[in-house]
Amino acid sequence: MTDLLDSLLGGLALGAVYALVALGFVVIFKASGVLNFAHGSLLLFGGYLVAVLHDDLGFAGALALAVLVTAALAGALDRFLLQRGGHDAHSAHVQTIVTIGIDIVLLTELARRIGGDLLTLGDPWGDAVTELGPVTVADSRLAAIAVSAVVIAGVFALFRFTPWGLSLRAAAEDTEAAALMGVHLGRVRAGAWCLAGALAALAAVFLAAFPAPGLERTTGQIALNAFPAAILGGLASPTGALAGSLVIGLTEALVVGYQSELHMLGDGFGDVAPYAVMLLVLLVRPNGLFGAKGAARV
Amino acid sequence: MTTRHTRRPRVRAAGAVLAGTLALLLAATGCSSKASGDGKGDAADGVRTGPGVDDDTIRLGALTDLTGPYATLGKSIVQAQQMWADETNADGGICDREVELVVKDHGYDVQKAVTAYADIAPDVVALPQVIGSPVVAALLDDIQRDKMLTFPQAWAASLLGKDAVQVLGTTYDVDMIAAVDFLTRTKGLKKGDTIGHVYFEGDYGANALEGSTWAAERAGMKVAGQKIQATDTDLSAQVSALRKQGVKAVLISAGPAQTASLVGVAASRGLKVPVVSSAPGFAPQLMETPAAPALAAMLSVVSAAPAVSADLPGVEKMVASYKKKYPDSPVDSGVLSGYNAAKLIGEDLAKACEAGGLTREDVVKAHRSQSNADTGLGTPQNFSDVNRPASVETYVLKPDAKAVGGVVNAEDAHTAPGVEDYLSSR
Amino acid sequence: MSDRIRALLTRRRATLLTVAVLLCLPPFYLDAFWLRIGLFSMAAAIGAIGLALLSGTAGQLSLGHAFFLAVGAYGYTWLAGDPGPGLPTALAVPLAVLMAGLAGGLFSPVAGRVKGIYLGIATLALVFLGHHVLLTAESVTGGFNGRSVPPLSLGGFTFDADRELTVLGVPFGAEERLWFLGLALFALTWFTARGLLRSRPGRALAALRDSETAAAVMGVDVARHRSAAFVVSSMYAGLAGVLLALAFRRVVPDYFGLVLSVDYLAMIVIGGLGSVAGATAGAVFVTALPLLMTRYADQLPLVAAPGSAEGAVGPTEAARYLYGAAIVLVLLYAPDGLHGLARRARDRLRRRRTPTTVPDTAVPSPPPPAAAARPKEHTP
Repeated sequence: MTDLLDSLLGGLALGAVYALVALGFVVIFKASGVLNFAHGSLLLFGGYLVAVLHDDLGFAGALALAVLVTAALAGALDRFLLQRGGHDAHSAHVQTIVTIGIDIVLLTELARRIGGDLLTLGDPWGDAVTELGPVTVADSRLAAIAVSAVVIAGVFALFRFTPWGLSLRAAAEDTEAAALMGVHLGRVRAGAWCLAGALAALAAVFLAAFPAPGLERTTGQIALNAFPAAILGGLASPTGALAGSLVIGLTEALVVGYQSELHMLGDGFGDVAPYAVMLLVLLVRPNGLFGAKGAARV
Repeated sequence: MTTRHTRRPRVRAAGAVLAGTLALLLAATGCSSKASGDGKGDAADGVRTGPGVDDDTIRLGALTDLTGPYATLGKSIVQAQQMWADETNADGGICDREVELVVKDHGYDVQKAVTAYADIAPDVVALPQVIGSPVVAALLDDIQRDKMLTFPQAWAASLLGKDAVQVLGTTYDVDMIAAVDFLTRTKGLKKGDTIGHVYFEGDYGANALEGSTWAAERAGMKVAGQKIQATDTDLSAQVSALRKQGVKAVLISAGPAQTASLVGVAASRGLKVPVVSSAPGFAPQLMETPAAPALAAMLSVVSAAPAVSADLPGVEKMVASYKKKYPDSPVDSGVLSGYNAAKLIGEDLAKACEAGGLTREDVVKAHRSQSNADTGLGTPQNFSDVNRPASVETYVLKPDAKAVGGVVNAEDAHTAPGVEDYLSSR
Repeated sequence: MSDRIRALLTRRRATLLTVAVLLCLPPFYLDAFWLRIGLFSMAAAIGAIGLALLSGTAGQLSLGHAFFLAVGAYGYTWLAGDPGPGLPTALAVPLAVLMAGLAGGLFSPVAGRVKGIYLGIATLALVFLGHHVLLTAESVTGGFNGRSVPPLSLGGFTFDADRELTVLGVPFGAEERLWFLGLALFALTWFTARGLLRSRPGRALAALRDSETAAAVMGVDVARHRSAAFVVSSMYAGLAGVLLALAFRRVVPDYFGLVLSVDYLAMIVIGGLGSVAGATAGAVFVTALPLLMTRYADQLPLVAAPGSAEGAVGPTEAARYLYGAAIVLVLLYAPDGLHGLARRARDRLRRRRTPTTVPDTAVPSPPPPAAAARPKEHTP
């Protein structure tokens, strides 16, 4: 029972961090129809900023600045590189590939700067742990769960109660109609990218914090694990992203925790389990758990 | 009407282009540089030469990773081997020829590496450095066919038994047999205990697991394996699983980041057991992370090479000159293994030269005739049996934040009991 | 008028022949490095054309191409090798292609139902699961170290360096021989793909892409056509895999990863979605450019020798910057890809030459797949 609790809590924490990344994917996709392949390097960029700034500014200052700068970078990339292409479905494909180019340049530069180092972010949790009844959890993980919950609630509020959120939802529903109604598509999109950038920088901190040894050049690759999370829930649904992330986090933790019982699937199945789950879900619900079925109008 | 007039000249023009191209093809292959001979022959001083060797230079190739996941290792090796080449040339070179290194960076990309091999293969005589197990695997057949003496920076037993490929030092399985021996000898592990083994997917992990499983069975113990990937840097779930299985010690055959996470998490969760890592699982950078105290308390490293802080005269001299030449670079085990590899290939070349030939076949033959190659940088190696690791002696190292390279020697080189049985049983 | 068409056809045939002759030249001049790049490009082009059929006609997006390449490559190696049935290599090639098609068919419950970008990510799962299988099923795949690929042998002629062969004074090794095999397979792909695009199912798929509802009303079985497109695309990927395996001479699982899949997606978008020529151009761009840039980047100013100084920009880094920037620039200035760029350049050239515009009847350029004129679709 303890082991199960242990795995569940670990999975919850992992899912909370994935949710920050997956939400970034979803916000960008909802606003621009682009699958952002540069998300991993944005995440690394944010983490790198915290790593180099925390000595001078302290952790909180470094994190605040990193979140702002990463948000600005993401917004600028969209405004000046991607938006030139336009807003229709074909340009979304093209822009998806443009993000690959951006990713290559950004990742090469960051990897060159980081080299073989393991950078510490100076976070306040260190390697402290808390005993919760029979199970032990790292403080950084508890912080991840708490921060993710607050931030995600905030993002949902943004969607629901602000004019920007309304515009975004309108644009996602029907781009042309929204434009005709006076929604400034460019600004709505850039805003979404900024939000995603900020979320990525925040996620970087938790991905590099304690159970992980620090920030390294490959930290951004973890964004890939959030891919299935975003799809699982439905690429355009924030609720789905949250649910998908938790499913993926729990699956990963449980499969690793019970690896010895799952021997027939081959060792190391934990790393591909998210994809297996994703396939199963898509078989039953082709548009994801929370994706609405595209109604065809004749 | 107009078409009638334009049609004929057009066809004629196209025909002319076609005929011209054909003529060009036939005429010009005569002067194609590819039609010349294969570059084999005798140099002015009577030494047989082949690809990569001419009257005044010997070219050695390196397929390295300077921009991918093993960039730190690649850089250390390239710099150490460059230093060796400079030193050698300052002493008059080998066989009255200058040594030149041709370095190609593949960034851990198989396709780039295979293309880079095709690029440099005609111009080099041997490869004292190839990084990346998938790269080595993809090139195995070509290397064998070209009889290109190659020192891969990978230590899997599956690379044994190939004439042109030389694994330097011990293989991963031998290291892990020594690790299990170390645990039973000094950490009080005994019959009936369970040892955890966290290992990378792939050749490295599989081979290490083979060794640990064999040794554990011999000692009446059980191995609980946990396979991970290079992208896993949070080993909380693995630690939970290992604790559930009640392990008394943990072996790890992964990268430095994974070692740090494993030890850090285990320490914080109260799983305070000895951890023994394979050599590639440690890097001096780890001693600057928050996990450093836990690493110093719990970790040991099994390695075929001594710590760079060891008091062997050869190692001390090499470390001093490396620090002088590259003051900003860390001195890690890659420096030592790269320099050692270069030195060994230098000896092979000198020996081949004495025997009168520097073709690739001559170099491989000279290499295989060395049964006690001692560079003064660790244990002597025996290259005469292709099916056996070049050495079976291992050191045990302990992390030490203050030492050069972050580790110090804890146990001197020795052969773990059972290694011979293991090698003959395989 | 018929004279005119004949004139065009003859001219086309002559151009075609000239191109064919030019493509036969490289083995006589270039060394193995260049020939390998060429072989990789040809294999990539075959795979990319398959993907272009899927995305350009059926409007589907696949990120699982690396998996089907792997099925082709490993299928050939296993069928012709030992352990394995050890079939004659000439028979193993078509069987491996069929195996890739079969794998695509098994995926059809998903491929027939899941749409667009969702299919892209669903197929991503295949890549990761496939990689896991390649590593685990050691008896078939050789595990992490992969397997040696048996050289192809056609009626006594073997595509490797074993028996010496000299043509016009040039020694013909494995690369030189494979070059011609690659050309033949590429030509096969080129013509069958163009045929398919113009055939009845091809037109049905195009209708499907433009409007699923309209196509269904007109009697196109949506799911079946989608699955069929997926199977055909997988078979081309399988063929590309076979050629890649022959060029590599050893197959290793790590090559067939996510990066490869993303590369194929980049190829068809950079080339211009939905056109055979565009996919070819994109394949050459994505395959050859990074290799060539890495090779020649040390000639650039400000680039340090590999491993020279702390924090300096090495050749590989310089090459990656340039490659990334090239992707961004090409797509910024030509959102319709290299194919669109070429078409516009050709149009401008022609307009300058003959003031009266002549519609090129012989080359029905595939309709711009751009959804520019496409009715807005409901995003789920």
